[in-house]
Amino acid sequence: MNYPVWDVLFGSGLLIALVAGLHVFVSHFAVGGGLFLVLTERKARRTNDLALLNWLKAHTRFFALLTVVFGAVSGVGIWFTIGLISPSATSDLIHIFVWGWAIEWVTFFIEISAVLLYLYGWDKLPPKLHEWYGWIYFLAAFSSLVVINGIITFMLTPGSWIDVHKFWIGFFNPTYLPSVFFRTAICLALAGIYALITASVQKDPDLKTRIVRWGALWTVPSLLALVPLGWWYIHEIPASLFLSARGPMPTATHFASLAWILLAVTFALMLLAVFTPRRLHLVFALLVALVALGAMDSFEFVREDVRKPFVIENYLYDNSLYASSMPGDGGFTVDNLNNTGVLHAANWINQRNLTAGNQVEVGHEIFRVECQSCHTPNAYRGIHQLIEQRQWDPASVSAMLTGLSLMHNGVMPPFAGTDAERDALAAYLNSLQTITPDPSTFTNGKLVFTNQCSMCHQNQPDDPLFSGLDPNPQVAADSLKDLPSLFPLMPALKLNQTQRTSLVQWLNTQRPAGKPGAPPSSAAQGGN
Amino acid sequence: MIHPGVIPTIPAIDPNPLPAPYWVFKLLLLVTFYLHILAMNLMLGGAALALLARLTSSRHPMRSRIFLDVAKKIPTLLAATITLGIAPLLFVQVIYGQYFYTSTILMAWPWFLVLVLLIAAYYGFYFVAHNGKRRPGAAGVVLFLSLALVLLIGFIYTNNFTLMQTPARWAARYFADPSGWNLNLADPTLIPRYLHFITAAVAVGGLLLVLLALARWKHDPEYAAYIFRFGGKTFEYATMAQFLIGLWFLISLPRDLRMLFMGDNPIATAMFGVGVLGSLAAIFLMSEALRRQNIRMGAFGVTGVTAAVILCMSIMRDNLRDAYLKPYFHPSQFAVKTQWAVFPLFLGIFIGGVILWLVMLRRYGLFTSTRPTEE
Repeated sequence: MNYPVWDVLFGSGLLIALVAGLHVFVSHFAVGGGLFLVLTERKARRTNDLALLNWLKAHTRFFALLTVVFGAVSGVGIWFTIGLISPSATSDLIHIFVWGWAIEWVTFFIEISAVLLYLYGWDKLPPKLHEWYGWIYFLAAFSSLVVINGIITFMLTPGSWIDVHKFWIGFFNPTYLPSVFFRTAICLALAGIYALITASVQKDPDLKTRIVRWGALWTVPSLLALVPLGWWYIHEIPASLFLSARGPMPTATHFASLAWILLAVTFALMLLAVFTPRRLHLVFALLVALVALGAMDSFEFVREDVRKPFVIENYLYDNSLYASSMPGDGGFTVDNLNNTGVLHAANWINQRNLTAGNQVEVGHEIFRVECQSCHTPNAYRGIHQLIEQRQWDPASVSAMLTGLSLMHNGVMPPFAGTDAERDALAAYLNSLQTITPDPSTFTNGKLVFTNQCSMCHQNQPDDPLFSGLDPNPQVAADSLKDLPSLFPLMPALKLNQTQRTSLVQWLNTQRPAGKPGAPPSSAAQGGN
Repeated sequence: MIHPGVIPTIPAIDPNPLPAPYWVFKLLLLVTFYLHILAMNLMLGGAALALLARLTSSRHPMRSRIFLDVAKKIPTLLAATITLGIAPLLFVQVIYGQYFYTSTILMAWPWFLVLVLLIAAYYGFYFVAHNGKRRPGAAGVVLFLSLALVLLIGFIYTNNFTLMQTPARWAARYFADPSGWNLNLADPTLIPRYLHFITAAVAVGGLLLVLLALARWKHDPEYAAYIFRFGGKTFEYATMAQFLIGLWFLISLPRDLRMLFMGDNPIATAMFGVGVLGSLAAIFLMSEALRRQNIRMGAFGVTGVTAAVILCMSIMRDNLRDAYLKPYFHPSQFAVKTQWAVFPLFLGIFIGGVILWLVMLRRYGLFTSTRPTEE
C-alpha cells in the first residue's frame, strides 16, 4: 500500500518459495559441509588415506561451485525477491537490523574468500595452512547462520521487541536458541547427505564404503537430534500461533506431518545406504537429497505458515499494513484505513473516487493492494475457486469480508477500509465468478455449515458454536436470523428458514455429549 | 483526484529510525559502492578483453595465452563483484529505500531475472576457466554468452538506478502496466550512462592486463611486454572514447543537473574537474609508460590515477542522484536513534574482518612472489 504491488499472475508468493526453498538447502550445506571438509581432511591425513583425500579435493570443487555460485546468488536472491513482494517488511527488517546485516556481510565476505583460497590451495598450501583456511571458512559460515537466524526467528517470535524496539531483544528472541541448534543439526545432516552424491560416482567400492560410513556418522545422529530439537523449537512458539493450523485450512499441520515423515524417510534411506555402501548409485544419492530437501522445505513452510497473517508477528501484516498505530506508520494501519478509506490512504491506487459505475475496477485495485500479497484472482490461492465452490453470492461475500480476521482461526488479516470499499471489493470478487450462485438452493444442514460457517467455526467440541447456541432448536434457529446480534464480528448472512432449521438440526447431531443442549435425543428431534 | 505523473507518489519513510546518523550510511554506501564498482570493472573489462583476445587469437598467437590467463581470473573477480555489491545494496535500501523499492517493483521481472542471468553467467565463467585450454572453441562461445549476460545485468541495473531517481515517471508507468515490465528505456540518459560505465570497465580491463604484466615481468618478459602493450593501448583508447561518451552523458542530463558539474555545486564541479584532468593524465602516463617500457609507471602510476578518477566519478554519481531527488529527499526527514549496543560491534567486526582477510591473502602468498610457507 505504501509501495506498488507487483502483479504476478500465478502468485508472487510462489517465487519466494522457489528461491528460498532451494537456497536453504544449499546454504545449510554450506555451513555443515564446511566443517565436514576440514574434519575429513584431517582424518584423511591422519590415516594417510590418499584415496579419501583425492575424493575430498573433488568434493571441495563440487562444494565450492554449488555454494559460492548458487548458494550465494540465491541468498541475495531471497533478498531481491522479498524486496519485490514485501517491500515494507524488507525495509523494516533492514532498518531494525542494519548492523546485523552488515555484520553478516563481513562474515560472508570472509566466507567466500576463505572457501576460494581453500579450493585453490589444495595443491599449493602445506596441509596445516590449508586446514586453517577450512576452519576460517567454517567459522565464518557458521557466524553467518548465527546472525541470520536472529532475524528469521524475529519474524516469527519478536517477543518483547514489540514493546521496547531494542536490537538485542529482537535478535535474541524466544525461538532464537532452539532455531540455532535445530538449524545446526540440519547443517551437519546435510554434510553427510551431500557427501553421498560425490561418493556415488567413485569407482573404488572400498573408498565408497569409507565415505558413506563417515558421512552417516554426520547424518544419522543429526537427524535423531532433530527430533528433540524440533520439539523444543515448537515448544517455544506460542501455542496460539498453531491455532490457525487447525480447522479447514490445516496447511501448517500438513507440512509439519510431512516434515516428520520425510525426516523419517531420510533416516531410513541413510541407513539403507550404510548397509549397502558398495552399491550406492548416483540416482539413490540424489533421491536421498531430494527427500531431505522435501523435509527441510516442509519445516520452513510450517514456520512461514504459522506466522500468517503476519510477516513480522504482531507488527506487520502480510499485506504490509501495520498491526497498530505508531509514529511514522504512514497511516498504513487497519484502524486508519477503516476511518479514512483505502482510496484515500493507499499510495498506489489509480481511482480515487468510488462511484456506482467503477465499483468493480476500484474493487480490483483494493484487491491488489490488500489481498494480492497472498492471493490471486484465479491461480495460487485463487479467490475465484473459493467463492464458486461455496456458492457465495455478492451479499455473502460482502458479509464474509466483515469477519475476515476470524476466518480459519486467525490466518487472515482483517479487511481494512470503509463499508463502501468492502462492497466494491465484494463486487470485484463476484465478477470473477463464472456461475450465478444461488446459496438459497442448498438446504442440507451439513452443506450449509460447510459453505457458510466453516470458514470460522470448526466442528470441534470447544467451538463457541456449540456453547453459544441456544439449546432450544427453535430459539437457536431464530437466533440465526441476525448473526451480528450473536457476535458483532459475525457476517450478516441471510439464511432462509429451511437452511436455519436444517443447520441447527445437523449441529445438534454434532454436539459434544454432556454439553448444554447436547442430546440429539429422540425427544428433542421430535420437538422440531 | 490525483493525476498520475503530476504529483509524484513517494512512499513514506520506514517507521523504524536510522540506527546511526545519516552520514554514516552515506559514507558506507559511497565506500562500498566504490569497491564494488572497482571489482565490477575488473571483472567485466577482463571478460571483454579475454573474449577479444580469444576472437583475435588466430592472427596473434600470444592472445590465446591472454585469453587463458584472464579467463581464469574472471570467476574470482565476479565473486568479488557480488560480495562487494551486497553492502551498497544494503545501504542504498537504508537511506533510499522509498525510491529503490518502488523502481525495482516497476521493473520486477527484469530485476528478478538478474538472479537467473547471474547464475548462468557465473557457471559459464567457471566453465571457461576450466575448459579454456582443452576446448577453446566451446570456451569462446560460452565466454561470449556469459559476457552478454553480465552486460544485460548491467543494463538492468542502469535502468533501475535511473528509474529510481525519477519518481515523476512512476505512477503513469505503474498504472499502465503493474506486471513488472517497466524498464526505463525512454530516459535520454539511460544509454550514455550505461555506455559510460561499460567503457570504463573496458579501460580498467586494460589495466588488469597491465597489472598481470607487472606480475609476469621478471619470469616471462616477452609475454609481459605483449600484454602490457595490449592492455595499455586498450586503456588509452577506451579512456579517449570516454571523453565522447561522457560528453554525451553530460549533454543528455537536464540542464539544471548538468550545471551541477559546471559551477552550480562546488563539490560536483571539483570532482568533475579532477575526473577530466585525471583521465587526461592517465592517458598521458600510460603512453609514456608504454614508450619507455616502464611497467611500474604503467601499473602503479596509471592504476593510482585511475582509482582516484573512479572515486571522483562515484562521488559525482552520488551528487547526481541527490540532485535528481532534491525535490523529495531531505536527510533531515530521517529520525535517528543510534544503536550503540551494536554499531561499535559492527565496526569491530568490520576492522577485524579486513585484518583477517589481509592475513589470509598474505599467508596464501598473494603479496609475495615466493611460494606460501607454513608458519
